[in-house]
Amino acid sequence: MKTFSHLHEKLSNGEFAVTGECGPPRGANTGVVDKKIKLLRGFVDAVNVTDNQTAIVRMSSIAASAHLVRAELEPVMQMVVRDRNRIAIQSDIMGAYSLGIRNILCLSGDHQKFGSQPDAMNVFDIDSVNLIRTVRDMRDTGKDMSGYTLDVAPQMFIGAAANPFADPFEYRVIRLAKKIDAGADFIQTQCIYNITRFKEWIRQANNEGLTDKVYILGGVTPLRSAGMARYMNNKVAGMDIPEDVIKRMDGVDKKDQADEGIKICLETIEELKGLKGVHGVHIMAIEWEEVVATIVEQADLK
Amino acid sequence: MNIDKKPKLTLFHCLNSFKETSSMFDGCQAKTVKMACSSMTKDIHLLKAFEAGADAVLVLVCPEKGCRYSEGSMRAKKRVDYVKTILDDIGMDSRAIEYIQHDSQKTTGLIKDIIQNNDIRA
Amino acid sequence: MITASQKPINEIIKLIAPYKKVLILGCGTCVKTCFAGGEDEVAVLASALRLSFKKKAMTIEIEEQTVERQCENEFIQEASVKMARNDATLSLACGAGVQAMVKRFAKNIVLPGVNTTFIGIQESQGIFTEECSGCGNCELGIFGGVCPVTRCAKKLLNGPCGGSQKGICEINPDTDCAWHLIIERLTTLGQLDNLKTYIPPKNWDTSLSGGPRKLVREDHII
Repeated sequence: MKTFSHLHEKLSNGEFAVTGECGPPRGANTGVVDKKIKLLRGFVDAVNVTDNQTAIVRMSSIAASAHLVRAELEPVMQMVVRDRNRIAIQSDIMGAYSLGIRNILCLSGDHQKFGSQPDAMNVFDIDSVNLIRTVRDMRDTGKDMSGYTLDVAPQMFIGAAANPFADPFEYRVIRLAKKIDAGADFIQTQCIYNITRFKEWIRQANNEGLTDKVYILGGVTPLRSAGMARYMNNKVAGMDIPEDVIKRMDGVDKKDQADEGIKICLETIEELKGLKGVHGVHIMAIEWEEVVATIVEQADLK
Repeated sequence: MNIDKKPKLTLFHCLNSFKETSSMFDGCQAKTVKMACSSMTKDIHLLKAFEAGADAVLVLVCPEKGCRYSEGSMRAKKRVDYVKTILDDIGMDSRAIEYIQHDSQKTTGLIKDIIQNNDIRA
Repeated sequence: MITASQKPINEIIKLIAPYKKVLILGCGTCVKTCFAGGEDEVAVLASALRLSFKKKAMTIEIEEQTVERQCENEFIQEASVKMARNDATLSLACGAGVQAMVKRFAKNIVLPGVNTTFIGIQESQGIFTEECSGCGNCELGIFGGVCPVTRCAKKLLNGPCGGSQKGICEINPDTDCAWHLIIERLTTLGQLDNLKTYIPPKNWDTSLSGGPRKLVREDHII
């Protein structure tokens, strides 16, 4: 079987995969990217490079992904449909492939309302399901959206996001199925703190036979403090941190809270490893990249 | 403003809410507009009162729960608030218009205070 | 209807300041219903402007008129007499009304007094909501009669994003998640299978993306 990337190869071998995350800098400083590369290289199979995450203007995900390629750390280039119409989307995918980028994560994108430029016009020409389909059609038919046969068509390993914690819950699995039909090869989920709800979601996905068709990487984010837990629960859309997790963070001394957060993260990873239908873990240590090595080593993921 | 001149006051009130007496307007030139219900207080009437030279406009309404037409007093209050925003926008003092909920014990005294203290002036 | 809201008075003052005689022209259709530019709003605005100019010791003559519909030539005609004797007309109609006036009175100055906001409905007294974007290609049938193009902040056609919680859109606690409403409605109608239907990329050519649109009815052209 043809594999499109190292991440794809690892997953297709049935190995438990680990991905990390790298947010590009608010500026053109490649030093920031290089520093994150050093912290992640050797510990993860691939690294998501975010695309103007939370609608805050940053170095482009294509350029930052290219820096990762150059440093021999495999990127998962994130692409949102918020900022590009279908012309720019297809063009950027071709450009990214030409730069050696082999994984893409297709997203709608955070609304600009809470970003650094709330007065911007958004695009949303196509939705994330159609972005997935576009990349898949390019790869499998060799044609762009207009039906034109490309001389070299990008061959990408295609990812999509899923949020098992958003409402309406009954719809989440239908939406997952839709993304798989559109061509998603792998799924990275929203951060898991409510493991009960996650288990119910993966059970439904197993029942529908979806986990045989797609690789699922459970998302985790180590909590740094009880304050961060509360903030994320209240302010980040689609985030579900149960009260007992917040209490557990509150229950330890401030200086030990980061360690407790890592402990919770490790326990979640341990649970995920044992779940049928979970093929890996996506560690989003936001601006805390140095902790990834610790987690990977302690969770015995190497 | 000429301080020797008596201030002009226009009072809109619900005829169900109170009976006016001439003495309560001592010290000002008063004009009263009786309405069947204070809900008939329209923003244009309030502004026209200022255009006609009023220094201050008062809208006297029944207590909210005492309004015979149930929502009249609430509507009147909203209109007064709206006209206040207009006055602010055009650089007039929004305190020149006030809304008073009628209370048989207090209303007359309140109006007198307002007149004597020159509390509200356009 | 088309909804609109009146421009801040100070913006209007700046617009009309260069003129000595101004006609405020209302429209008795949509903007009347949304309290932005009907007869009542014309009267209030005129009064507020007179007070404001008086306070600044400036003089301005203001006339008032409201026609049934500013977007139709036959009603606009009624304004011609007053327009002729004023230096400028401040229109309280929607953008279509203002431009209909401009087409009809090529040499007159016509200024906008409202900001045109959206195609919507009065959901309850005093509350107006946007319902339609006029995309030129209605697909309400499959969405149970709730438009995701207009009412989903991300125009998602294949289901909700991950930010919706308890039926509320992530971008505003006052906004219902359109997809939540679609699912509720399809549940009521027993049409939940519609959710599994793949919706291809939308053809925006029929929307403003295809440039200004024109509707031609041959059978009505003489």
